[in-house]
Amino acid sequence: MQHDDVIWSVLNGQFCSYKQQKSKTQIFCANEYNLTGLCDRRSCPLANSQYATVREEKGILYLYMKVVERSHYPKKQWEKVKLHESYIRALKQINEHLIYWPRFVRHKCKQRLTKLTQYIIRTRRLMLKKTAKQELVPIKKKAERRETRHEEKAFVAANIDRAIENELLDRLKKGTYGDTYTFPVNAISLDEEDDESESEDEKEEEEEGENEQESEEEVEYVEDFDESDAEDMEDMGDDDVDEELIKALPPSKKRRMEIEYESVEIPVRGAERAGVIYCYATRNSPDDEWHVDKLEFKASNQPERYLFYDRELRRKSK
Amino acid sequence: MAASRPLVSVYDEKGQSTGKSVLLPAVFRAPIRTDIVNFVHDQMRRNKRQAHAVSTKAGEQTSAESWGTGRAVARIPRVRGGGTHRSGQGAFGNMCRGGRMYAPLKVWRKWHRKINLKQRRYALVSAIAASGVPSLVLAKGHSIETVPEIPLVLSDKIQDLKKTKEAVALLRKVGAWSDILKVYASKHTRAGKGKMRNRRTVMKRGPVVIYDKDNGVKKAFRNIPGVSLLCVERLNLLRLAPGGHVGRFVIWTESAFKKLDSLYGTWSKKSQLKADFNLPQPMMTNSDLGRLLKAFEIQSVLRAPIKRQARRKIKKNPLKNISLMSRLNPYAAVQKRATLLKSLKGRRTGTTAETKVAARKLRTHESIRAKRLSGVNLVKKTKTQKVGSTTTKTTTTTTKVSTKSS
Repeated sequence: MQHDDVIWSVLNGQFCSYKQQKSKTQIFCANEYNLTGLCDRRSCPLANSQYATVREEKGILYLYMKVVERSHYPKKQWEKVKLHESYIRALKQINEHLIYWPRFVRHKCKQRLTKLTQYIIRTRRLMLKKTAKQELVPIKKKAERRETRHEEKAFVAANIDRAIENELLDRLKKGTYGDTYTFPVNAISLDEEDDESESEDEKEEEEEGENEQESEEEVEYVEDFDESDAEDMEDMGDDDVDEELIKALPPSKKRRMEIEYESVEIPVRGAERAGVIYCYATRNSPDDEWHVDKLEFKASNQPERYLFYDRELRRKSK
Repeated sequence: MAASRPLVSVYDEKGQSTGKSVLLPAVFRAPIRTDIVNFVHDQMRRNKRQAHAVSTKAGEQTSAESWGTGRAVARIPRVRGGGTHRSGQGAFGNMCRGGRMYAPLKVWRKWHRKINLKQRRYALVSAIAASGVPSLVLAKGHSIETVPEIPLVLSDKIQDLKKTKEAVALLRKVGAWSDILKVYASKHTRAGKGKMRNRRTVMKRGPVVIYDKDNGVKKAFRNIPGVSLLCVERLNLLRLAPGGHVGRFVIWTESAFKKLDSLYGTWSKKSQLKADFNLPQPMMTNSDLGRLLKAFEIQSVLRAPIKRQARRKIKKNPLKNISLMSRLNPYAAVQKRATLLKSLKGRRTGTTAETKVAARKLRTHESIRAKRLSGVNLVKKTKTQKVGSTTTKTTTTTTKVSTKSS
């Protein structure tokens, strides 16, 4: 009583979990072994005890066969045969294996083979294209919104203006401006927010080399001290400073540490490629200067970091 | 009667086949009558209902009276009195706010259904039979692709399981765990008011474990989601065909499996444990219709199939249809051709005065000859000549010719 006809009458009439009737005209079958994809007396893998399909797994095509004898052993039910890579040979294989099988099954298997080989070729072609190597990642609106807001807040919290101000005053105090400006020293208040400004200073010295120094020397200031002018000078490195500041800790925390260690990432762009300079600097106390220990360069496309300045080596060479 | 009864191997808790095998009980060869299962399931489902009703007083606790006509209001009973919002409002009707509902529910509604014993047994037997067909179990929605055999029979050691951990390990080894995973995936909150009536979550049904003696099975398996437990002697259709659809995944224990024959009988032997019961007879002993129709015994008795049926011919008129006419009278074609040529003859040569005279002469000669032959009095036409004033008629007479021959 377990004949195909009985099974089909139950499946068709009563209930089959694979049956999909999404449209009024066509009923589909969600069973993965189905030859045509339609819910049909001839195509139903459940209602036909002798059945075969062609399926694709990771670019390789397999012929699956099912016979009555194994119908009660679900684990061993499907016989899997790997089909030849060559399409014509695969067709011959199908003919061999399904030699005395019903014409419908044989024909549909071959049709399926054709379709799948075309699909595989297309997939391969697509994979070779540049677009396939790039992974398209969707922009998550909510996350983006959140991130920009965080950035804004961090920017505000970093107090860049203050840092710049302190840096300038520091330099003035040191005497880098020489006699360009004359103020009574007492009038100037020096805040202890040297971290960001110091690292910025270091970067200017090492990275931009002598250009920066030259420009500094070239520019002459009028007697009236214009804060804005000075700031313009500093603005050259301002964008980079932002990045650093965002990554740096808030100044209050740094005040208490004795030996300070700071690492900074400076994005760099040149004619050929872009990258990041990793700068590691230390200083003994907040009053002391920042000393650069290590400078490393990493191109954005490549994974390696190149060390191009090491303080210890420099010392040794001396 | 039934098809051949194969041997079903018994598996141990590790999912390996023990050497033993059991003869397939005859129940699995019983007819699968989904219509009976559906009906019986439907009836059985009503038996667990609890009575509910609306209060008899609901909406009736007013002394409302209709105001009648002439008051420019609808005639429904209205609440008496005054001094409150309620006064003058409609009451009693199902359409009124605060009125009694249409057909207030009564407790004496027929909540339970009686089902004939035979029907109940038939349905159960069909459900068991369907559980032995892998296709039907797959169609129901169970994932049995990793199960070694259907029907799945496990050794009696399962009945002694005490820990759920062991039960889970067993299900994994036997290949039934994927079905349980499906149950886990299907857990969701119920739609509707059942949420607040202590029926919050819903999930799929997993396998049933049917045992003979409970030495701890029940407790071991009962906490695994989706799993149902049944004793062979008290099988429940609501568990074997949930939703009225046959084909639930069943895991048998060996002794339970062996008991089926004595419970339901084979066709040759009545049931020992049920009073006066034997398996239902199928409508067809061999239900493979496809095979039957192709069989020699049937084909030899049938007449040849009519591939092309001859239809009624439309009668055509030969006088109008030349091809038909020539089929009936071949000479007609010749005749027709001749007439056609004749009609065309004059046209082809072209008519001059001489030809016309010649044609006329031919015609007159022919007509004279014809008339002579037929014995007609011929009188020539007289030529009238105008000589001066007088007109002299010259007549030429021809002799009578009598063609009457003696």
